[in-house]
Amino acid sequence: MFRRYSIQLILVVGGGLLTYVAYEELLNLYTLSVLMFMGVNIILSTSLNLVNGNMGEFSCGHAGFMCVGAYVSSILGVWLFTKDKVFGAPILDPEWALYAFPFIILAGGVAAALAGLLVAIPSYKTRGDYLAIITIAANYIVISAIENIGSIGGSRGFMGMKKVVNAMGDVVDLPWMPIWVFIFTIFCVWIIRRYVSSTFGKGVNAICQDEVAAEIMSVNTNKIKTVTFMLSSGLAGIGGGLFAYIIGYVNPGSFNILKSTEVLVMVYLGGMASLSGAVLSAVIFTIMLEALRPLQIIKWVVIPLLLIIVMQFRPEGIMGNKELSDIFPWMKRFYRFK
Amino acid sequence: MLLSVENLEVKYGNIQPLHGISFHVNEGEIVTLIGANGAGKTTSLHSICRLAPPEAPRVIAGDIKFRGESILKTSPSDVVKNLKMALVPEGRHIFGNLTVMENLELATYSREKGADLKQEYQRIFDLFPRLHERRQQRSESLSGGEQQMLAVGRALMTGCTFLLLDEPSMGLAPRLKYDLFRTLKRLNEEGMTILLIEQNASLALHLAHRGYVLDTGEIAAEGTSDELLGNPDVKKAYLGG
Repeated sequence: MFRRYSIQLILVVGGGLLTYVAYEELLNLYTLSVLMFMGVNIILSTSLNLVNGNMGEFSCGHAGFMCVGAYVSSILGVWLFTKDKVFGAPILDPEWALYAFPFIILAGGVAAALAGLLVAIPSYKTRGDYLAIITIAANYIVISAIENIGSIGGSRGFMGMKKVVNAMGDVVDLPWMPIWVFIFTIFCVWIIRRYVSSTFGKGVNAICQDEVAAEIMSVNTNKIKTVTFMLSSGLAGIGGGLFAYIIGYVNPGSFNILKSTEVLVMVYLGGMASLSGAVLSAVIFTIMLEALRPLQIIKWVVIPLLLIIVMQFRPEGIMGNKELSDIFPWMKRFYRFK
Repeated sequence: MLLSVENLEVKYGNIQPLHGISFHVNEGEIVTLIGANGAGKTTSLHSICRLAPPEAPRVIAGDIKFRGESILKTSPSDVVKNLKMALVPEGRHIFGNLTVMENLELATYSREKGADLKQEYQRIFDLFPRLHERRQQRSESLSGGEQQMLAVGRALMTGCTFLLLDEPSMGLAPRLKYDLFRTLKRLNEEGMTILLIEQNASLALHLAHRGYVLDTGEIAAEGTSDELLGNPDVKKAYLGG
């Protein structure tokens, strides 16, 4: 009984503890923010790992989809629940913000999933490096489009999300952002794990191994690519939405190719097609970014250098294509990562 | 008539590998396409299987019909799922990172959920006992002959009734070649229709009921295997005498 539900129990206790610690302000705001960014990074790295690791395509415009999610959920939240210069009076009672918030974030995910079609459709006929170029182009299309929409701030950015977060706190006095980030992080990892271990997910693995062989084994490669790209970008959109609400401000510059590269680094650091690797590397990468903060701009010399060293001595990443439960078999008694 | 290819012309970009070829395969037959490198044999098979570009060429004229109906708009997955045609590609294309068993399981991808496949796995292991011995081994570690067995076994696990093989004897030791061709004969006797592409014309014609000789994208000769084996031009060009 305990073993069967142990992971659920750990998550509930962990979530409860996080809420308590945040509520009692036992952790300072900075540490709490780092923890929340860790959650967002886990969502980003696991979702990109789905395409780059599990499906074997090379997508490097993940931040573009994050951007779509961030803007859509920010605009929705501000439009529905706050008094804004552009959108005017709130459409709904701010008291509803708490209940509507997950749907707002999911709506951002859906919009990002639709933007994922920008990459999914060309992927039917384009592979490898050429597809990578298309993904970069998609990233630029999204950023340029938003930079040129003046009504949502253009390149100056968009704000007002903090009012939505405060409105949630007014309904029930709890630290809602850490709670939502925690819930959505678990949700994203869970959904990816379900997806890759399903029959449909086996088709994703088949495409990675050999697309021609997958086709002749009756795997509908176009359908799988569409669903996988849309799921991956949709989850990136969820990550983007949370990112926007944590900071309370978004601008297109935050989602440029540098951000996409950061996510790529996390995926390759963790190990391709390893879900636990992607989670682990997101945690390590977030901590590393913060630990090296005193170095200021030099950290962007040190971090790539560390990456070069990792790639030299462990090119398969920290976990390779293994899961934590492969390395520590006792874990399988409680949880199987695949 | 199970499959008929009618005046098929295809193009890869500006290159036209097939110039209006026609052939057919009846149910329960073994038909072989023989020809030199670049004759258009693999292109023909890829066109029939409707592989997506860039592997498959663009059909510019002619038709491919299965039981009398055009399949030019059929997707590759539907060719396997609905028409029960399975390709054993040149170079085997097995999933190297997966075990033998996982390769076979993947082939059942689009089959009915909950279908009892135990007997079918057993049939594969009866045909190729080596695969049973190596079922938990990563398939990239198999020998060339074993990989070919796996490629055939995997195609059979799709539940096909029509097997298309592209140069199955390539790179195999003579004994393994004969073993493989004996297995193909056994499959045919059990009712499997086979379209075989082979450079080893003698071996292929001794197995097949009928054959077609492809030469630079055109059918140069056709007939029963005995007719082709006795054809002086075919003998001179493909049978070493």
